[in-house]
Amino acid sequence: MFHRESGIFKTTYAADMALYPLPIAKATVAVIAAAVVLLPFVLGALMPALSANYYLSIINLIFIAIVGALGLNILVGYTGQISIGHAAFMSVGAYTAANLAVRWDLPFWITLPAGGLMAALIGAVVGIPSLRIKGLYLAIATLAGQLIIEWTINHVPAISGGAQASIEVPKPHLFGYEFKTQGQLYFFLLFFVALAIVATLNLVRSRIGRAFVAIRDQDIAAEIIGINIYRYKLLAFAISSFYAGVTGVLYTYYLGIANYEQFQIVVSIDYLAMIIIGGLGSVLGSVLGAIFVTLLPIAITWIVESLGTLVFEMQQIQHVVSNVRVITFGLLIIVFLVLEPEGLNRLWRNIRNYFRVWPFSY
Amino acid sequence: MPSKGLKRLFGAAAAMALSGTPAGAQKEITVGFQSDRVGLTQTICAVICPAFHDYMALVNSKGGVEGYKIKVLEIDTEYKVPQGVEAYERMKKEGAVAVALYGTAIVAALTQRLNDDRIPGTAPGFGNAVAADGRRYPYLIPMAAGYWSQAAGGIQFAKQALGGSLKGKKIGYLYIDNPAGREPLPILETLAKVEGFELRTFAVPAPGLELGAQVLDIAQRYRADFVMAHLFGRSPSVAIKEFKRVGYPLSKVLGFVWSAAEADVEAAGGFGVAEGYYTVQFAGVGPDHPVRAEIADMYKKEGKPVPRELASTVYYNRGIVWAAAHVEAIRNAVKAKAGGMPTSEDVKKGFETINAKSLAAVGGISPPLEITADDHEGGGWVQIFQVKGGKFVKASEWMQAYRDVVKKHLEADAKRN
Amino acid sequence: MEWEFTLLLLVNGILIGLMYALIALGFVLVYKATDAINFAQGEFVMSAGIIAAVVVAASTSFFLGVVVALAAMVLFSFLLERVMLRPLLGRPIVAVIMATIGLAALLRGLLPLVFGAGTRPISLPEFIGEEPIALGPVMLQPVQLVGAGVSILFLAGFSWFFLKSRMGIAMRAVADNQQVAMAMGINVERYFALAWAMAGIVSALGGVVWGSMLGVDVHLALVGLKVFPVVILGGLDSIIGAVVGGLIIGIVENLAAGYIDPYVGGGTKDFAPYVVMIIALMIRPYGIFGKRKIERV
Repeated sequence: MFHRESGIFKTTYAADMALYPLPIAKATVAVIAAAVVLLPFVLGALMPALSANYYLSIINLIFIAIVGALGLNILVGYTGQISIGHAAFMSVGAYTAANLAVRWDLPFWITLPAGGLMAALIGAVVGIPSLRIKGLYLAIATLAGQLIIEWTINHVPAISGGAQASIEVPKPHLFGYEFKTQGQLYFFLLFFVALAIVATLNLVRSRIGRAFVAIRDQDIAAEIIGINIYRYKLLAFAISSFYAGVTGVLYTYYLGIANYEQFQIVVSIDYLAMIIIGGLGSVLGSVLGAIFVTLLPIAITWIVESLGTLVFEMQQIQHVVSNVRVITFGLLIIVFLVLEPEGLNRLWRNIRNYFRVWPFSY
Repeated sequence: MPSKGLKRLFGAAAAMALSGTPAGAQKEITVGFQSDRVGLTQTICAVICPAFHDYMALVNSKGGVEGYKIKVLEIDTEYKVPQGVEAYERMKKEGAVAVALYGTAIVAALTQRLNDDRIPGTAPGFGNAVAADGRRYPYLIPMAAGYWSQAAGGIQFAKQALGGSLKGKKIGYLYIDNPAGREPLPILETLAKVEGFELRTFAVPAPGLELGAQVLDIAQRYRADFVMAHLFGRSPSVAIKEFKRVGYPLSKVLGFVWSAAEADVEAAGGFGVAEGYYTVQFAGVGPDHPVRAEIADMYKKEGKPVPRELASTVYYNRGIVWAAAHVEAIRNAVKAKAGGMPTSEDVKKGFETINAKSLAAVGGISPPLEITADDHEGGGWVQIFQVKGGKFVKASEWMQAYRDVVKKHLEADAKRN
Repeated sequence: MEWEFTLLLLVNGILIGLMYALIALGFVLVYKATDAINFAQGEFVMSAGIIAAVVVAASTSFFLGVVVALAAMVLFSFLLERVMLRPLLGRPIVAVIMATIGLAALLRGLLPLVFGAGTRPISLPEFIGEEPIALGPVMLQPVQLVGAGVSILFLAGFSWFFLKSRMGIAMRAVADNQQVAMAMGINVERYFALAWAMAGIVSALGGVVWGSMLGVDVHLALVGLKVFPVVILGGLDSIIGAVVGGLIIGIVENLAAGYIDPYVGGGTKDFAPYVVMIIALMIRPYGIFGKRKIERV
């Protein structure tokens, strides 16, 4: 990530698609991995436990968001199919896992894939209209999917676990070890985030991933060159929903409860914002977008509070803080779409390209 | 404005220098307060949240609680769960001894965490009715009548209104079709058996911007003798209008706690249109309470205009009761520690020692709450108000209804899980 | 008695359906002329409602409120087209959808910040009033009649505009093929601006009508969700489709509430329209009156 190549010397397609473009990339990845693993210990050493705990809780929320954003990006960014009902797939995963965990006392390494698979199944069903319709019609069909899934969960006590539509689940445990504190959950989530990132990186450079991109760019042309677009569109929905389901399960374990109000349309919109701001059709973009959108409200609150209290009393700006947050959120989406459609990922590439020849830029 | 801010800064610095101790750390108690100023419940927060702050400011202006100032750390959550979790963790970091929670989904998401961290969280009007069970949810304190107690209160009132017996009467239950809306159903079903009335439910899918068909059904096909309306958002106004349209008397309609604020009545066409409409409340309504005058005076003394929010008495008064419960819990905690700095666990015990006299400071706005380790609902007190002559008028005293039925349901639910 | 109840449900459905059509019209106008999809339609309506409510409260004149709301929405739509939508021309549909979702967030943050978050009433003028009007067994809410009236008026007006007027025909040409239209000497950009201004007018009146029915606050934006089944059913680019779609959805909702709810024990009112919509999508992917687009590689 921080290395700079001196030119392009690739002679085969295989080399072009390689996960590590240069041998040194392995070192970069190793450094990042080590940094991420060591982070909780560093935080713990630097500050009081409560503060470290707070920062870890934010990172944990980011981790969960990354998994969801990656999944949505596979569908929207890579395959070009829009879904505004993604939060519903999360709820499918969440309730599947919660029911399995509570009724049959199954451990997370069964409930988690089960939640993902169930979401994938439902996702493929919701994706069926994509075979005939596209664009706005599809967007609205997925919105309908969201409403219908919400309604079903809400009205079937066997799924929702009763009138309150919330199921409390025990914390995840492995071989008797319980992931309970933010620090422990950090590693629990980190494992799945790493898995999701690696899986996505590999998926998009596989045959399937290339078929997705072909469908995105022009589905009729893709069909003509022999891609079974029906199969691949459904597959995109299924894979994307699998990620969403897993996200839902992670949420459920992280919070200790599956609740249907956690997965409403606003959540779908937050995730769409992540991939738009981060960069459509980019793994790094999904990660950056998830970080950005999760941190944005926190950062704005912090900025407005620390600058604003110099001039105003807290009570006066309390109201403003929240509105500024929402306005900035909306503005950022628009600004990115209008000015930098490829998102943070592109900004990052621009910076890299600038430094590639720095300081001799001419 | 900048000069004032600078003055404040200098003032604070001077105070610190004089006292010689870090002024904030020693004599301040932090209370976390989650709010929703931009999400879907912003219309409620727009009144409740300032009320919460105003009451705390009033207490501080009178010297605080047993020598401690109360600092309210408000963080807006937009009614979203991740933000709620983050806000809670930040409050924990800042050493909040209690957290006022806002939003049913957030309450659900934080319930386990409150237990793990031993921090009491309050949620009047949010969250589940079963949270009233203090043994099951030791750190979640609804501190006001939940939907079960409200439903029970509503039925008791209907019984009086319909002449002392509900035998053979038809009661319609009009509700937003979500978990919160369905929550009172088990209580209503049990009471239907106990009192021998017929119950029919009329679901309104959220957000309920149009409920002509349901109201028509109640008035023309079912011909209900009494209606309980458990609606949120804009739907209460629409319901009032629709009842008026089909000619169903509003004096046979009783709205639950989120379906009758001044603004809802205004939006329905004004108090004249809604004449007769009943509402169940867990905090007193109306402007005639001394504590409200004290808050207005506090503003006048500081040379500021009296806040507009005061005019919306339903939510404003609710905010006062909410804040006052925190103040009294902290007072109990400080007293129990003989003036020492209370921990969050002390404050939890402080909540559980709130008795009928504790909230005397806010007068008739608050019911005689009596929170115990078992009963976090404080007795399930409700009061019925009616729209009459351009304002809300008391239609009953504070009352507790069918406590045995509610308790039985709480126990049954605890056993089930 | 049963037939009377059914009749009442139908009347309900028709009136509310026409009010849905009012919101949907704004959406259809923009799509028809500029191919842009406005996910912020609900927020447009909310903004207009808030502005109207503030002005009505301040001036006690209902008509001044309507005029100011109209002017504000037209101005805003112009501005929006210029700043946000023009740069997005020719970009994937996802981009426009997301941009308008961003716009929705922006409006939801901005208007309560400027005007306050509380709920406000919009009271109708004296001669309309709040008292229900009786027509035999049918009781009608005045505001719904106003909404239905405005809707029908717009239907007639826009139909005439697109079929007969020179500008309307030019706008259809623009919608059909921008390049050819440009070659024929039509000022495409001006017609885009005009289409948005028309959508602004429709939203403003929608905001006033819905606002006086519900009361005005951020919840008013939720009427935007009603647009989708309506326009999909009617066809995205058809004015008459918006009205027919609105009527179908209104009637389906009311019949579902009256005859399905009692059997399933839950509210199917918001859910039924979407089921109808999905079925319609499978049979006629471009809506009842929509134009089928032929795609070329």
